[in-house]
Amino acid sequence: MDYIKPFINFTSKKLQLRIVFALFLAIFLIALATGTGMAQENAEAAKDAVAAEPYKVVDYRNFFGLDGRLIVWIISELHLMFAAFVLAVPIFVVIIEIIGAKGNDIKFDNLAREFTKLLSAAFATTASLGGLLAFALYGLYPAFMRYMTDVFHPFMFIYALCFFGEVFCLYGYYYSWDLLSKTPKGKWIHISIGVMLNLFGTALMMLANSWATFMMAPGGINMETGTVTSLYHAFYNFLWMPVNIHRIIANVAFGGFVVGAYAAVKFMGSKTDEERAHYDWMGYIGNFIGLSALIPLPFAGYYLGREVYSASPVMGNIMMGGAFSWTFIIQAILIGMLFIGGNYYLWNGMSRIKGAERYTPYIKYINIVIFFCFAVWLTPHNLPLSGEERALIGEQYHPFSKFFGVMAAKNAVVNLLILSTFFSFLLYRRANKGETKPFSSHGSAARITLIITVGLTVMYLAWYALGLRGIDLEENIKQYVSPLITCLVLQIIAIVIALLLTFANKGKFAQSFLFVVTAVMAVIYFWYYGFVVMEKANLVLRYLSVTQVSIVISCLIVNTVIDVLIFKDAKEVGGIQWGKIPHRSQYALLLLCVAIVTLMGLMGFIRSGLRMNWHIYGYMQDTSAGAFTPSIAYMGWTVSLIVILFLALVAFVFWLAGLADKKKKHA
Amino acid sequence: MRSFLNAVIFTVAVLGFFTYVCIYVTGLSGGGDGGGATGVSPEAGEKIFWGDGQCHTCHSIGTSGSATRGPNQEGLASRAEERAKATGLSSGLEYIVESIVEPDKFIVEGYDKIMPKVYDPPIMLDREKILAVLTYMQTLGGETDIGAVMKFKDRIPEASKTKVVPWVPPIEVDPKEGELIFFDDTRDVTCSKCHLLNGKGSKVGPDLTGIGAVQTPQYLIESVLKPSKVIVKGFETMYLMTNDGMAYNGLLVSQNEEEVVLMVDEDGKMEELVFYPDEIAQMQKQDVSIMPGNFSEMLTTKEFYGIISFLLNQK
Repeated sequence: MDYIKPFINFTSKKLQLRIVFALFLAIFLIALATGTGMAQENAEAAKDAVAAEPYKVVDYRNFFGLDGRLIVWIISELHLMFAAFVLAVPIFVVIIEIIGAKGNDIKFDNLAREFTKLLSAAFATTASLGGLLAFALYGLYPAFMRYMTDVFHPFMFIYALCFFGEVFCLYGYYYSWDLLSKTPKGKWIHISIGVMLNLFGTALMMLANSWATFMMAPGGINMETGTVTSLYHAFYNFLWMPVNIHRIIANVAFGGFVVGAYAAVKFMGSKTDEERAHYDWMGYIGNFIGLSALIPLPFAGYYLGREVYSASPVMGNIMMGGAFSWTFIIQAILIGMLFIGGNYYLWNGMSRIKGAERYTPYIKYINIVIFFCFAVWLTPHNLPLSGEERALIGEQYHPFSKFFGVMAAKNAVVNLLILSTFFSFLLYRRANKGETKPFSSHGSAARITLIITVGLTVMYLAWYALGLRGIDLEENIKQYVSPLITCLVLQIIAIVIALLLTFANKGKFAQSFLFVVTAVMAVIYFWYYGFVVMEKANLVLRYLSVTQVSIVISCLIVNTVIDVLIFKDAKEVGGIQWGKIPHRSQYALLLLCVAIVTLMGLMGFIRSGLRMNWHIYGYMQDTSAGAFTPSIAYMGWTVSLIVILFLALVAFVFWLAGLADKKKKHA
Repeated sequence: MRSFLNAVIFTVAVLGFFTYVCIYVTGLSGGGDGGGATGVSPEAGEKIFWGDGQCHTCHSIGTSGSATRGPNQEGLASRAEERAKATGLSSGLEYIVESIVEPDKFIVEGYDKIMPKVYDPPIMLDREKILAVLTYMQTLGGETDIGAVMKFKDRIPEASKTKVVPWVPPIEVDPKEGELIFFDDTRDVTCSKCHLLNGKGSKVGPDLTGIGAVQTPQYLIESVLKPSKVIVKGFETMYLMTNDGMAYNGLLVSQNEEEVVLMVDEDGKMEELVFYPDEIAQMQKQDVSIMPGNFSEMLTTKEFYGIISFLLNQK
């Protein structure tokens, strides 16, 4: 049917948009003009008042009647959480892209790209929250920020430069994906941009970390006057490197579990098998990344905690034996959730792998071990007990649980928990693998790889053993160090035996052997010996913990490499049926995400709260009304609010990022 | 949409559990922090021991507490008497006082030197609170004698800091205004006539480049108002009298066998004068700075603090 084209088409969307824009512009200009006039009037009217009352310098302000500290707490946590995501995702995106490029597998490349899409959407929010945090700090804590600016202003400019670097690399990385994927050379240039993105991101994090750790363990200043004596030491303060290491690992775990939860929500809403398979795989990768980072995280946490104690014994005591000791019980619950959730997901994942049924009988035993570890970790002991608590228990310690509440027991079960999760992960890895090829058939590259791995691990253990030998302690205490050295030597021997067994085509036996030796020494023997040391030579406990951790790490490293090598080119039993995973497993992914975000909120509270009523520990006191240590219940409400806000923002940002895809599908 | 709602419900349930645990733990742990403890008494001391003093984080008392880093304090008073005899001190109380004032002085066998000085940051117990803790410690295996404790009052240092806040000038000032005065050649008080700052000015007085990073506000204020109180090495004033009775006060620029060069103020202008050994009758260092001591008269309060703020910004 013919119709007359109107002179002005009021149904045109373009025209409607133009009208709305014109109206908006008009309102904006009117408001601007009125506002300027009003401002001038107000300025003139206020002149007299200002002249009569001298300007007052304030140290603290509140936020429209709300406690300034609460506002800064919420904004800084939100910024940190987004920043953790934005910093972590590029690390594994580049790794996934490299895997895709090396194996020429477009599936990995697409996954890396999908993660980057989420990243670019979250980046702007991170930056906005960063700006908001800066305004909140300068507005609500002006005196404190004046001092911090005085000390760190050169690094603030470097921070801004790095930020530009990250912005250019991120958008360059995202938008050049198609352009640079056409040739292998272009692909590697693209990967290089991704590496640069990581470098800038890490530099940004490390710069900001130095400010936070300076507040905890100030260096390079005169503690009486605040005068900067060494900017280098103010920047590279005592806790800087421990926090850097802990944050990088924790960020990767955080990023992995957040994308895992994204995949879980998408999986649950998928309508086709293809979609389900894609998001199942994505969730698996997210969980794999999260768990891989979670396993070494307790070691990094222990190192940080130890350094906090070394930086200030008072702060260390407040953390582990004082006001904050109960928060570590809550931390144990959250970490327990992570380990149990991670293992539960892996076991559910086995149902989509034909051949996994060979390993299912082991799972119930691993379950029992994990719950036992969790229970021991939760057992409180080294806490200030009140009179009522003592009356309730009947003595200083509970007659049964007293053996589980001390550091010796807790260190032992943490290491057992890690070994069990690692074992669970190995079972998952080999669920689809059948007959393996003899190790000798893998050629000299495999042998060299294993020799280098074993060599480096042995060197580290030997170096630490020699360090223990030369340690300066009184003779009556030093005798308690000797068993630690013996254990390290035994572990070296066990690793060399595992190497020889692998070379003799008995790799699986070598792995079991190393597992057993490690568990016997690091868990059973050190649990017992920890009690001996605590009673007779408390000073040796810290060396015992490091020895224990070193033995476990050496086992994880060597067994991983052996596993990768012996299962190289192994026959597949039945393949993985992506998408055929029970629906309930996706709730495990959600649990992991909520638990890690909450854990980050809790640990942020602990790290910051340890300063008690100090802005800069030992130098500048917090004299504001908010300078009290909140109760754990108050913390619980606040952290829950922060987690809800973060997850809501993430969901919104990811929804925005997905709009473009929907548009493409409908086009 | 349904899957998303399920995810939201699940998330809220997990967070609800977390909050419930936090509330439950708060109920278990209580919130006693030793706040409100005043006066010198064993009751106040006990509160401080388990609260503000942080003593309980290292020391248990009998079956109270479970910290093992420091010695258990049960029966401390009687044990301290024995230790006092072994170490030559007059009383057990003195032994306890010395252990608090100088924690590294007496280390109990099997323990490390980890005890902080509780009057220093970050614990910063004031003198009264330490005295209260001492009276409490007397009750651990002994009798309280507040009079005896008070005799050690002067031995216990006051908390090294009370409220530490960054220095701010007492009135609102603009460091830029201070900078203008510092370099203003038209005024008598121009600092740059004698001081070098970032390459500008002259070298009669000490170079003030980066002075804010190494000096405190109090030092700078004192140096301007009372310049002779602390004279930087190398900038002492030299008094010189010639054979013909002329006296000069100035800075020694150089001195050798052939000549002595002195920088002197000639009608507001710094000039170098050369003296030969045969014309010098007397020469000696003065404890008075060449810097004028009347800046408080030549500068307004606002100008003065403007200059101080400007100098403190030089980092």
